[in-house]
Amino acid sequence: MSTKVSELGGASAPLSSFTSNLIPFVLRLAGLALIDAFSLMYMLPRLYNDGIWYLAAAIAIVTVIINVVFLVDDLYPLRWISPGLALMILLVIYPVFFTFYTAFTNYGDGHLLTKPQALQIITRELYLPEGTGTFKWTVFRSPEGDLALWLEPTSEGGTALFVPQDGEPVDVSGEPPESYQGYERLERRDIIPLLNQLSDMKFGVAPDQFKISSPSTAAQFQRRYVYDPEQDVIVDQVSGKVYRPVEGTFTADDGDQLRPGYQVVIGLKNFQRLVTSPALRGPFIQVFIWTILFAFFSVLTTFALGLFLAIAFNAPDMPMRKLSRSILLIPYAIPAFISVPIWVGMLNPHLGVISTNLEALFGWSPAWFADPTWAKIGIILVNLWLGFPYMFLITTGALQAVPQDMYEAADIDGATAWAKFWYLTLPMLLFSVGPLLVASFAFNFNNFVIIDLYNEGGPPISGTPTPAGHTDILVSYTYRLAFASGRGADLGYAAAITMAIFLILAIIVFIQFRYTNMLEEASENV
Amino acid sequence: MHKKFWMLASLMLVLSLVLTACPSGGQAPAKEAAPAEQAAPAEEVAPTEAPAPTATPVPTEEPAPTEEAAPAEEAGPSLVIWADNTRAPALEAVASDFEAQYGVKVEIVEIGFGDIRDQFKVAAPAGEGPDIIIGAHDWLGELVVNGLLAEIDLGEKADQFLDAAVNAFMYDGKLYGMPYATENVAFVYNPEIVTEVPTTWSEVEQLAAQLEADGVVKQGYVLQEGDPYHFFPIQTAFGGYVFGLTDQGYDPTDVGIDSPGSLAAAEWLDKMVKEGHLQGGIDWETMHAMFESGDAAMFITGPWSLSRIRESGIPYAITTLPGETQDSQPFLGVQGFMVSAFSEDPLLAQLFLTDFVATEQTMRAIFEADPRPSAFLPVRESIDDPDIAGFAEAGANGLPMPAIPEMSAVWSAWGDAVTLIFNQSEDPDTAFKTAAEQIRAAISGE
Repeated sequence: MSTKVSELGGASAPLSSFTSNLIPFVLRLAGLALIDAFSLMYMLPRLYNDGIWYLAAAIAIVTVIINVVFLVDDLYPLRWISPGLALMILLVIYPVFFTFYTAFTNYGDGHLLTKPQALQIITRELYLPEGTGTFKWTVFRSPEGDLALWLEPTSEGGTALFVPQDGEPVDVSGEPPESYQGYERLERRDIIPLLNQLSDMKFGVAPDQFKISSPSTAAQFQRRYVYDPEQDVIVDQVSGKVYRPVEGTFTADDGDQLRPGYQVVIGLKNFQRLVTSPALRGPFIQVFIWTILFAFFSVLTTFALGLFLAIAFNAPDMPMRKLSRSILLIPYAIPAFISVPIWVGMLNPHLGVISTNLEALFGWSPAWFADPTWAKIGIILVNLWLGFPYMFLITTGALQAVPQDMYEAADIDGATAWAKFWYLTLPMLLFSVGPLLVASFAFNFNNFVIIDLYNEGGPPISGTPTPAGHTDILVSYTYRLAFASGRGADLGYAAAITMAIFLILAIIVFIQFRYTNMLEEASENV
Repeated sequence: MHKKFWMLASLMLVLSLVLTACPSGGQAPAKEAAPAEQAAPAEEVAPTEAPAPTATPVPTEEPAPTEEAAPAEEAGPSLVIWADNTRAPALEAVASDFEAQYGVKVEIVEIGFGDIRDQFKVAAPAGEGPDIIIGAHDWLGELVVNGLLAEIDLGEKADQFLDAAVNAFMYDGKLYGMPYATENVAFVYNPEIVTEVPTTWSEVEQLAAQLEADGVVKQGYVLQEGDPYHFFPIQTAFGGYVFGLTDQGYDPTDVGIDSPGSLAAAEWLDKMVKEGHLQGGIDWETMHAMFESGDAAMFITGPWSLSRIRESGIPYAITTLPGETQDSQPFLGVQGFMVSAFSEDPLLAQLFLTDFVATEQTMRAIFEADPRPSAFLPVRESIDDPDIAGFAEAGANGLPMPAIPEMSAVWSAWGDAVTLIFNQSEDPDTAFKTAAEQIRAAISGE
């Protein structure tokens, strides 16, 4: 409809609106062209060539979306959030999909490279055929620029040779002279620019050509492994063994494997391994229960303390409210990477200020790290210190939203302070901070940092089939499984475990949200 | 890849912010008024814009040559070396010499020692890695298995290096590094308290008992809790081992954590804890603090803590580790240079190492930057610092720390076993047998 209006009235001022729209439009196109050029001409080809097609795909999608959003006028509002969208795709959605994809691959130590890279490394290996020796080499150059090698035998019984680039070797003897047959000897200084070229060159006549393998050695090396792209096999030239690709590793029939392997999709193998792993038969249940207890008590204690302080400091007659409130936030401002080690130091049974003082006062102090129960209590206490300011902050805010007239009504009804807290404050608070408590639970469920910094999951549980500690939570346990597996970092396996944990966490959070929804409905009915 | 990614992310952000900020005929009425007018400029602009999209397929097809062409355009060959901040200054001197003499540009990039391996694993396959890295020999397993290292031939220089150090850089019979320093723990004691140096661990136990009974020290001997690295010399003194050693290197199918020798060492530890001569809850820091304050008389440590002990002013002496049924063998850590399998000029990288770094002058500069026993014999043999010489002597029969990937399955289980004995939650036999089973299970992957 407005289009019609503009068509009718458009004739009156076409020129001015034309110029006022032209400049921004050109700017917009120029900007898009820049993004497209950067993405299409620089990023995509490079990533694609490096074999990182999944990141290339993510960037292609982002580029397309940006173009659409900026060219289709109806999507105008989206332009404002397009930076956020682009970042969300690249930093949130892409990593999730990448983890998902990785869980189905063998990506990890031993399978880090792409197949072409692995082939390049494998086929580079040389061998020395029987009956030939190694030589020390000196480079000669003819006036025309042709190169030749003077070879002095390093093995017993060999004879010195002079081998031109494409000529028959000539028997010679002794040290390399200044010049020979018109060739000039090159000093070390002069061969340095040629080294790159020399490493690819062959001297003499095929098939018995000489090759340089190191700054001191040349010999009639042959390629040990030859790749046959048609059958997709590698043939060992020495033993005649045939290596076929099996799950990202070239493997011979007798089980012999060639290094390195390469990345390949292996289907559900990682999940299979997870389900049949002794880790599941062993301490998994114990670790899982402690994970839930740890997350639950972390939220409960921090919320209780934070709420208590928030109510205390909400009282208008509290002296120095602002100052104390600010001081209470300090633990929140110090990174856990600093405060946890400080706590660990203070709890140290020999030198720690807490332990030594307890010892002096009571003649006893808990084994904060060696005893399973005390280690768990210690972790909850340290997490309380780290987490209560956050709860203090959000409950202080939420308290302001509780209508004061409700308290007046309660006063008139003669309610006690406890009744007011229990029947008014708490339900009203839970209504607004409930989802944050769920989020806090989910965060602590995966709180690797405090577990690792406190005691690395220790003390160890005795007699388990895989190493595990009494304070290990699922994430730290996963870390042990994936990175102490005896095969180096096994990222595909780690991704599979991560997905399993994600599933568990998603179910718990879903149930909790259902529960808080019930709370909300209840509070609406009040 | 990371760099690229962040570059892209930030560039996208900036560009889209700029775009968003453009009014772009933005006010709703003007926008809707525009169709007829927009069509015209779009057509006008189109021809100039068109070349860009159509031109893209060309570079897509052949970016590789342009990438390879780039270094070739630079004047002459060049090398990139990743070194940590202690070694980098020592290399700067030889790098500038090399550049002056041969016109090869050598760029030394400073990266924290602990980060070199992980960053190299990402950068090398992406074609952005260095030609040479500095690292420890126990990285070999991980790097060789991933195909990231090139073989090295030391040529005529081979016999100027400590055999044990060169052997440490062998993997499956091939040499992958040129060593520059070795490190190992030694027995450190306070000579004012310990007048007669114990030569066996049983003597350490007796001496500790006597010193504690006399009230001279709180603890005669201190050992860090749950740390298998410092426990290994005790284990080997009793005849224990981690992996069996064959001609082909360590054998991952022969786990020695529950061998009779290892169990005997575990029993010794258990006895020490039971009798109160060793206490739990002692970490590396506490162990040092106790020795430096005179609360303890003997402990095991390496050359990395030397400056710390010197600064504390406590009297100390460094000697070989006590044996028991046989001589003690500490783990030998060897540091050295490795050449990337993705180096564009591997011969040049090797030549630089063997001809320029493997010289007395450079090796001495590296030694002086961070005094630990040199792996280069001319320098090692002329160490006049008795402390460093003491560490070198204690490591004379050291065993290279296993570099095979299976070692990653060992640390955690083995450390747990030592901790369980310290905590007295398991008897030594069970603890070490369980650890061995855990290790075997992890290695077989079942």
